[in-house]
Amino acid sequence: MRPLLHNVAALAVLTLGAGAVLAWFADLTADEVARNRLEAKSRVLRELVALGAGDVTPWRAGQRLPDPTLTDAELVLCERDLAVLRVDGSGYGGGFRGAVALDLAGAIKGVRVLEHAETPGFGDILDSPSAWLDSFTTGDVHAVTGATITSEAVMAAVQRAVQSVRLEEMCAK
Amino acid sequence: MNRFAEAAVARNPAAVQLLGLCPLLAVSNTVANALGLAIASTVVLTGSAVLVSTVRKLIPEDVRLPCFVLVIATFTTLVNLAMEAYAFDLYQRIALFVQIIVTNCMILARIEQVASKERLGRTLVDALGTSAGFAAAILILGAAREALTLGFPLAALPPGAFLVAGLLLAGVNAVGARTRRTPDGATARRRD
Repeated sequence: MRPLLHNVAALAVLTLGAGAVLAWFADLTADEVARNRLEAKSRVLRELVALGAGDVTPWRAGQRLPDPTLTDAELVLCERDLAVLRVDGSGYGGGFRGAVALDLAGAIKGVRVLEHAETPGFGDILDSPSAWLDSFTTGDVHAVTGATITSEAVMAAVQRAVQSVRLEEMCAK
Repeated sequence: MNRFAEAAVARNPAAVQLLGLCPLLAVSNTVANALGLAIASTVVLTGSAVLVSTVRKLIPEDVRLPCFVLVIATFTTLVNLAMEAYAFDLYQRIALFVQIIVTNCMILARIEQVASKERLGRTLVDALGTSAGFAAAILILGAAREALTLGFPLAALPPGAFLVAGLLLAGVNAVGARTRRTPDGATARRRD
């Protein structure tokens, strides 16, 4: 009985200590971590908007950008000749959220994924720079070997977002 | 040979013991990534070794491994959080491999063999030596791959990691076999 108690006590003390230290440190870094994550999403969205703007109407600094949390409506941005739609779906490891940029004729100018829970390595096709994400602009997109569920889920989600939107009505106002 | 040099060179975790090869191969594509992982591994190994050595008499023999892993996991999580907060670009590139430091047998081996038995001073020297040996290995591999990429793009890709690491290990072991030869003929030079 004695050694058992000793073992349990040692593990309990160590676990509580580790938990306390981690809780303190996670709290200490929480603001900075949240800021970094948001900044990373903003960077990806700026990239997307710049893609859509192309050379014809370069996106100037200071112009309105989508809210990086993408919590607003499905249509997160509709300005000049570019519309950015939110893309939501569920992949192999959980939900993902991203955005697709369209010109006003409805052609895809770019796709980006802002957050996902796919298996590391297999989910790398969703992290920009990604040749696979770029292939959306060509209209010739295929599922990726080894990441079939992930890639098909993103393709389906992009298709849903693009088909459901009425650009002329939503961007007319 | 003193303990530091022994841990870093004669018993180099990567080149001699062939431990920690997963991060060694995966994160050595650039010197910057290699340095990031070397620092993270050093903090985890040294911190865990010092803590375990300090409380080694309080850790029951039966549950020592769960205790060691708990300590290593705690330090790994701390380093991971610190990187996400203060070195986010690096975090985005190597986070996965920082997280799996917890399973690095190089670290558990030093804790089990040294930190859980020896005094603080010796433990610290051993941990720093082992870390220096790992850092040297991954930095040399990272520098070699980054330099080779200029004329040999494959060096930056996963197959390049195996090729360059294999050649470097062969070179190190060739030199090591020569220096290990002792006056009495040292038959341990080759095992084939």
